Amino acid sequence: MSTIDVQGVLQGLLQQVAASDTPREVLKAPEFKQMYGAIAILPAEERGAFGREVNQVKVTVEQAVEARENELESADVVALDVTAPWSVNGTKPQLLPTNQGTQHPLTKELDNVIDIFTRMGFDAIESRQIDDDHHMFGTLNFPEDHPARDGYDTFRTEEGFIPPAHTSTMQHRILKDGKAQLEAGGHIAAISYGRVFRNEDVDATHEHTFYQVEGVYVSKTANLGQMLGTLRSFFETYYGQTLRIKTQPAYFPFVEPGLEFAIEKPAAIGGKTGDWLEMLGCGMIHPNVLREAGIDPTQYRGFAWGGGVERLVMLKYGIEDLRHFEAGKLAFLRKFKS
Amino acid sequence: MIISVNWLKKFTSIDMPVEQLATLIGERLVEIEGIENIGEKYQNVIVAKVVECAPIEGTDHLNATKIDDGGVAEGVERDENGLVQVVCGAPNVRAGMMVAWLPPQSTVPETFHDAEPFVLSVRPLRGVNSNGMLASAKELDLFDDHTGILEVDKDCAPGSKFAEVYELNDYLLDIENKSLTHRPDAFGVIGFAREVAGIQGKPFTTPDWLHDIAPQFSPVQNLEVPTVHIEDPALSDRFTAIVLSGINETAQSPVQLQTYLARSGVRPISASVDVSNYLMLLTGQPSHTYDYDKFKALAGDDFSIRVRSARFEEKLTLLDGKEITLDQADIVIAAGNEAVGLAGAMGGANTIVDETTKNVLLEVATFDLYHLRSTQMRHGIFSEAITRFTKGVPASLAMPVLAEAVRQLTEFTGASVSSDIIEDYPGVREQITVNINEQHINETLGTHFSANDIAELLQNVGFEVAFNELDATVRVPYWREDIHIPEDIIEEVGRLAGFDTINLTLPRREFSATKPQPFDALRSQVRALLVRAGANEVLTYSFVHGDMLKKAGQNPDDAYRIVNSISPDLQYYRQSLTPNLLNLVHPNRKAGYDEFAIFECNKAHRKSAGQTEENVPVEFDSIALVIAKAKAKGDAFYDAKHYLEYVADVLGLTLRYEPLSDGDATAAPFEPARSAAIFDAKSDSYLGVVGEYKKSVQKGFKLPDFTAGFEINPRALHEAVQNVGQRYQALSRYPGTERDITFQTPSDVTFQTIINEATNALTDTNFITTVVPLGIYQAEGSDEKNSTVRIKLVSYNKTLTNEEVTAVIDSVIARVVEATKGRVI
Repeated sequence: MSTIDVQGVLQGLLQQVAASDTPREVLKAPEFKQMYGAIAILPAEERGAFGREVNQVKVTVEQAVEARENELESADVVALDVTAPWSVNGTKPQLLPTNQGTQHPLTKELDNVIDIFTRMGFDAIESRQIDDDHHMFGTLNFPEDHPARDGYDTFRTEEGFIPPAHTSTMQHRILKDGKAQLEAGGHIAAISYGRVFRNEDVDATHEHTFYQVEGVYVSKTANLGQMLGTLRSFFETYYGQTLRIKTQPAYFPFVEPGLEFAIEKPAAIGGKTGDWLEMLGCGMIHPNVLREAGIDPTQYRGFAWGGGVERLVMLKYGIEDLRHFEAGKLAFLRKFKS
Repeated sequence: MIISVNWLKKFTSIDMPVEQLATLIGERLVEIEGIENIGEKYQNVIVAKVVECAPIEGTDHLNATKIDDGGVAEGVERDENGLVQVVCGAPNVRAGMMVAWLPPQSTVPETFHDAEPFVLSVRPLRGVNSNGMLASAKELDLFDDHTGILEVDKDCAPGSKFAEVYELNDYLLDIENKSLTHRPDAFGVIGFAREVAGIQGKPFTTPDWLHDIAPQFSPVQNLEVPTVHIEDPALSDRFTAIVLSGINETAQSPVQLQTYLARSGVRPISASVDVSNYLMLLTGQPSHTYDYDKFKALAGDDFSIRVRSARFEEKLTLLDGKEITLDQADIVIAAGNEAVGLAGAMGGANTIVDETTKNVLLEVATFDLYHLRSTQMRHGIFSEAITRFTKGVPASLAMPVLAEAVRQLTEFTGASVSSDIIEDYPGVREQITVNINEQHINETLGTHFSANDIAELLQNVGFEVAFNELDATVRVPYWREDIHIPEDIIEEVGRLAGFDTINLTLPRREFSATKPQPFDALRSQVRALLVRAGANEVLTYSFVHGDMLKKAGQNPDDAYRIVNSISPDLQYYRQSLTPNLLNLVHPNRKAGYDEFAIFECNKAHRKSAGQTEENVPVEFDSIALVIAKAKAKGDAFYDAKHYLEYVADVLGLTLRYEPLSDGDATAAPFEPARSAAIFDAKSDSYLGVVGEYKKSVQKGFKLPDFTAGFEINPRALHEAVQNVGQRYQALSRYPGTERDITFQTPSDVTFQTIINEATNALTDTNFITTVVPLGIYQAEGSDEKNSTVRIKLVSYNKTLTNEEVTAVIDSVIARVVEATKGRVI
């Protein structure tokens, strides 16, 4: 056993720190040298434990030094009368020039999208930013370990929560919440919008953080023709012109049939005949997804779709790099005056 | 995945131009990413016969040949017999051989797409004129083959067009295969062709051999066969094998077969390997061959094929010479106790087929796709075979493919069958049957198909459909194990007929527009107000580096941690928005912006907030703003507060500011002596924090001295706004009066005290009253300060007299002076 009273030394050092105006000096105290020196002369089997104890002292003192430094710094801080309207001997503050203010182009576009869908009778619900496997996959007909899950490149937290990789993470909630209305002879019509996350490297065309809008419609008579009609109607309103659409078979576990939906690029954004833009994925809600929410798939049918918001914004303004959206550069943001 | 259109045409007719075909496939099956025309580079290649072949003196390898091109090439010099002289350096050139001739003026196909394509001419070589050249498979851009010039192995007359002989007037389709994950059948040319027929509305005839799920063989010589044991049915549905003898491992497969492999991106090697690859490309079913004698020797007393999980720390050297340590989730093929292959991925080096091989064991099997998927990721093996296995190859396919492989190996390599078929087949499945009715299909799609239409669409691609009135029983072919429920059938009908042929409608329903949720509307209003006040909205990441939390004085232990992030910048969920905004101040300052306010409306998360009823973390809505002025002096606090007051004023709220005591994570970056907790005065509810930042925070984020901001809870703000009620006060018909009063008080009297006392004194006057701050003055070194307010009084009933005004003002003065121990100056 070492003869050094490590805890005693620690208390002494902490007292020095608390009393000092230059607490960092305490880190050079001879006590440290003595303690580290003592490690070498201990029997090998005791060195580990003693070394750890000494290191812990060092860390504790360092933290105390930092805290004391902050305290000393804050001691110079002059308190304010927080109830006053402005500084002593000062004048009334001014707001920055109003023509300098800008709304983020993504939230602005999201507002547009939400506005159109609410006018079409869809409730708008913001999507969660942290969720669980049950809502993200389980209730959406993704079996455990299914390869389709891989395509979503989800992040996970220590606890197993998931930053949602699609706004469909709200679909099960929307269906459950709308069940009563449905069974009372109504229908479910809602969009969920918000931030989603994929574990991807970032470059001009890839982001780990982006925005989506998902739509859900359920009634006794919903069908694929209605889905395509609804989507075309949305895009025609959004672009203010008639549009041609086309579809392509696709596979998403939570719809059956599943489709990719494209529009002919509108003239407003420089489109020509035969230029197609893939806008979203869609399909008839899989009976398992309805059943999971307690809705009888033999009585009711639904359709759902989901697509990205960045795409709309980039096309509208000709934005070249996806990374601008979350970069917080005023040089970018101030281009979107309205 | 690359698919040759000519190969498809062997199984179904295609009459439309290739662009139209690609569009149709895109609309009804899968996206086509590109079309390549390979025929154009073969237009001038001619099949010729070498009639004479003689070494050129003084060279060690050149031959002067005379070739017969059937007289088709124009403008070339010919001898008296009409033959053309070509010099050739290939070792395999000989008289009587049929070759591919590139005449003068033709372009070497290999260089066709080069910047400077190589165009042939008449060129003397060692004094002998060569008219063009005899081409190798490499020069023809078919495949790598270094043995010499290509020998045309099909029956054809000299002068035939090479492209026609080998079906090279072809287009290659580049298929986006990600969206075919659930369609193992479409990973074979036959399955793809079946779909191409179906989407054209044509019936497809599946080749007989593919339908024959129980073929018979008569062995020539009976070798001892191993037993087959799938030790766990979860690993494999079926393992079939057969022993073949007398395979000539150096035999080459027909050139035609090799060109189809090459077109699909697979290198031809030898007939025995080519047959396996060819059948895989054709059907989606991979196969593997082991050296039978090596296998038997390794098996020893236990001559068995075992399909089992790998053992702990088990090692295996693969065909490519790499030794790997297996995981217990890997599936292994073992000869008795000895691992001889990583199932579905790669064979072992210890049973490799080589020139010494006399007998082979041919394996055609299926393996559990989930196991193979993990094997693929773990060992980084992305072969054509495992790609197909991980889509889920149906067990029924094994036998027809085994039979066809045997037939082709017999034909191309001289092999003979030396055993009966051996197999273990624990995964036998009933044929899938789905019941559906015509109404269900039409109502879901919004279509008007007749029962006949539906039956025809499905029968075209191999479903058996029996309608009884409007109810149908659909029997699903074995290659479509992805079909289980009526909705799957509905998708097939819609897709095969074309979703784009469906009439578009809107849902018929009671129509009413919905209103945005009140909370969302309030948030939009605050956002618009801040924009109007010259601030810029930003969006920043929800995830932050641990260092950023520490710099902001927040405790990472309270942050949800991301465990699989690709970047340390995305380590934790943020606990509030302010740190992200502070992080943007310095870069924007460096970019030349001296004065700005940035804000964000978003969400934050903390573990300590607990979980909702659904057992997911509680989410906070938040609005944060930071204002920074690089060159300004004074107390930034009041600028931030001014923004807040501006918003509150529009919303009709009166805010109260109290010293910031011990704060939560939101308050952590704020300096308590220069910050305030914000309350709604009416409801007393806490709204957030406004203030300047701690010195350590200023240093950590390199903030200008003049930086401050706020972070508020918009949910609490929303609650407060609900209680605002009627704000309009009727106007008076009488003029009002203003009086300015300056109070000199001890410097520690807060401004709010003066305002409060004045306001209280005015409460009982029955006048419309307002108290407005005008100025705060304190001489340097003084411990007293002067606070000036303007008091406005208006009566509803009359014009106030001087005496009445003075009486009210005196009461205000008396009350303020008493409360503040000050005086009026």
